[in-house]
Amino acid sequence: MSAILSLKGVVAGYGGGDVLQGVDLELEENSVACIVGPNGAGKSTVLRSISGLLDPRLGAIALDGQRINGRAPAEILAMGISQVPQSNGLFPNLTVKDNVLMGAYIRRRDKAFLHRRYDELAEFFEVLAERGQEKAGNLSGGQRRMVEFARSLMMEPKVVLLDEPSLGLDPKALRMVHESVKRMVERGRSIVLVEQNVRFGLKLADHGIVMESGRVLLDGKAQDVLKNPEMAALYFGGTVKEQLPQVPAVPA
Amino acid sequence: MRTKTIAMPRAVADWVPPEWVTSRGVRYGIVGVAAILLLVYPLLSDDRYYQNMIILSLVFAVGATGLNIITGYGGYVSLGQGAFIGLGGYTAAILSTKVGGNPFVWVPAAGVVAGLFAALLGMIAMRARGHTFVILTIVFLFLLQIVSINWRVLTNGTAGLTTPLPTWSVDIANWPFYYALLGLLVLSIAMSWWIRRSKFGMGLVAIREDEDKAETVGVNTPVYKILGFVASTVFVGMAGAVYGYYLSFVDPLGMFNILLSVQIILSVLLGGRGTLWGPVLGAFIVEPLNEFANNSLGGGNVRLLVFGGLMALVVLFMPRGIVPAITEFIEGRRTRGRAGLVGERLGAAIELKKRDVPLARPAISAQMLLEVKNVSKRFGGLQAVDGASFGVPQASITALIGPNGSGKTTLFNLIDGTMSLDRGEVWFDGRQIDRMKPWNRAHAGIGRTFQITRLFREMTVLENVVAPVREFKLRQLGADAVSGHEAERAEQLLDFVGMLKYRDARASALSYGQQKLVELAQVLMLDPKLILLDEPAGGINPTLIERMGEVIKELNSRGKTFLIVEHNMPFVLGLCDPVRVLGRGQLMAQGTPLEIQKDPRVLDAYLGEDFAVEEEPVKA
Repeated sequence: MSAILSLKGVVAGYGGGDVLQGVDLELEENSVACIVGPNGAGKSTVLRSISGLLDPRLGAIALDGQRINGRAPAEILAMGISQVPQSNGLFPNLTVKDNVLMGAYIRRRDKAFLHRRYDELAEFFEVLAERGQEKAGNLSGGQRRMVEFARSLMMEPKVVLLDEPSLGLDPKALRMVHESVKRMVERGRSIVLVEQNVRFGLKLADHGIVMESGRVLLDGKAQDVLKNPEMAALYFGGTVKEQLPQVPAVPA
Repeated sequence: MRTKTIAMPRAVADWVPPEWVTSRGVRYGIVGVAAILLLVYPLLSDDRYYQNMIILSLVFAVGATGLNIITGYGGYVSLGQGAFIGLGGYTAAILSTKVGGNPFVWVPAAGVVAGLFAALLGMIAMRARGHTFVILTIVFLFLLQIVSINWRVLTNGTAGLTTPLPTWSVDIANWPFYYALLGLLVLSIAMSWWIRRSKFGMGLVAIREDEDKAETVGVNTPVYKILGFVASTVFVGMAGAVYGYYLSFVDPLGMFNILLSVQIILSVLLGGRGTLWGPVLGAFIVEPLNEFANNSLGGGNVRLLVFGGLMALVVLFMPRGIVPAITEFIEGRRTRGRAGLVGERLGAAIELKKRDVPLARPAISAQMLLEVKNVSKRFGGLQAVDGASFGVPQASITALIGPNGSGKTTLFNLIDGTMSLDRGEVWFDGRQIDRMKPWNRAHAGIGRTFQITRLFREMTVLENVVAPVREFKLRQLGADAVSGHEAERAEQLLDFVGMLKYRDARASALSYGQQKLVELAQVLMLDPKLILLDEPAGGINPTLIERMGEVIKELNSRGKTFLIVEHNMPFVLGLCDPVRVLGRGQLMAQGTPLEIQKDPRVLDAYLGEDFAVEEEPVKA
């Protein structure tokens, strides 16, 4: 399989020195990669560098072999990378539908496209079909996350970046997230997610990446990373579990 | 936001300022040279045009330094600042004409009058926030203008009052005004400097950053705001008295002109609000520009175009003002290519304490520290909390769980006073607290963290941790913002949560998980009896979650009571007893962790039918 997204020697920061100190990563097409690591390791900074919210000082980021760093976020979105921010990214006073349509703001004049895409997504996400005309502020936490996912898919991206999709969700909603990510991959998306809920994230991923102090410490199959005793002792908490947690059931 | 790259010549782009550029010596040097120039200028030159320009600049510099206290530190924009110049001018003119004496004698009285009016206006206007506050300050300005027009006996109406003529030699005619204003500017700056490094100033900054949050960490916001408002006007009133005497004539249209206020605000924004020297620098740029527009660009209202254009330039290119723009530029250049602060390997720092004997859990008494009785809260059409009742036993670690949207965070808001309840009662430590102000609840012993962290973003991590106020005392306002004793305690707490390395970083530069850890240290600083934690484990590295569980147990063994909202089930079930389950705004179930895990209603509504704890709970 070929790499759809690659980072080579990426150095980036926020004006107070470099947070990322040379990050190399490759994402295989049609797969899920999960980045884990201690707080402040630079995980979210990697996502911001990819989506163009932060311009790396050095290094190269390529989508399908095409260099994307240095471009504006809107351009990167148009090329096929969209990001779901950490939490509470919806406009509470807009309807669910308007929130989702915002995901294709850069093609806002193409009404036919917007409606076709929305209808496609409504088949995929029940909440769009059932509560599309309600204000986003009235939804529960899990439903909001689904709307955020739908919004990120409006532009039919090749790569979706998820920043802590499990944050603040109750156990039932967590299953919904798990299921949706799986289905996004089935439909051909490639996903990079950042998770502190290490077991949830690595269980969902094909590929596991451990970051520490702005560098990649370990990179391998998600299952192997999860079972790595040293990593477990340092970052995953508790002792290593031989048996992976069960895959949650599909929500009703 | 995307970091903007501005195209500039290579040599400029690559220039790295040497260490001495930002050294203290250079800063003091610039200020010292400026001060000496101002001090000797009248001796060197008799040019009345420039003397006049400096005198007016000094008036605006005092006005801007004052405004900076309430606007820069406190975050409240006042368009009424010019009114205090007028109040001062009228006070001295009226007293010297009606009572007698040189207007200079009445300068202190002008300060007192300005302060009294500020307190009065503050008590009314400070009840409002945002735009409403700004409009109230404009109303105040125009109200004073109308009073000064119509109260003829006192003010001589639109004809105005003429002050007594100066008695000193014409050769040095401007000197007394010049030096009096220079003296007042020095005093204003000294006060501004002192406030910024006192508890009072820190409270004002906390209000600017997040007023509701400031209340929950014990800041008595009305008192801080009114005192801040008074502090921002006293010297302005005094400068107004000197200004009126200098003009030798005060009238309603000149003294209560809204353009005075506009020019003061522009000075603060241009120089850099919230900085010590920015407002002074701004005043000394805006006033000469004003003179230039009047004399060389045709006069009339041309200066309004200049003000408007300048405002637009500031917003576009230096949204934070000149002084912050320069410091940021130099700081950015300096740190280019250096390693920034990043989280370290947690290994050594996070080593859990090995205990031979497990921590003794205090016996959970039957006595309730917190009791929520039949509490309800409605938002428009949404009944967020619907008659919820439960208790938190003294010295327990109680969990509050339930589906997203079941009202857990709203209940926290009702308990700590961030929101007021519609019906029901909240009792804490034997007292009914549901009508108490948030800061009084904080002083009574309730501390709280937020689900979406709410640190004071522009403060450093250390300042955030020392910001909480345990009790309100007037004399404490003058204490150093960060005293040695406090800093030591704050550092211990930061070490406790593994964030000591970030002590001097700005809170806004931290990642979400790091902010949660700092917020935990912040609430511990308050040393509350009851600690409310809203999803403490969300966004935190698993190893740190274990550490946090350890910290909570340690504090609990010393008698602290916890109420924890959390979705991380292994964490909750291993740590908490009893567990309260909320569903649709009501108590749905309660019991021990074991009972809860088997309760069919809880499984159905929250955990899911096939729930099983996949990992060992955090060991007790």
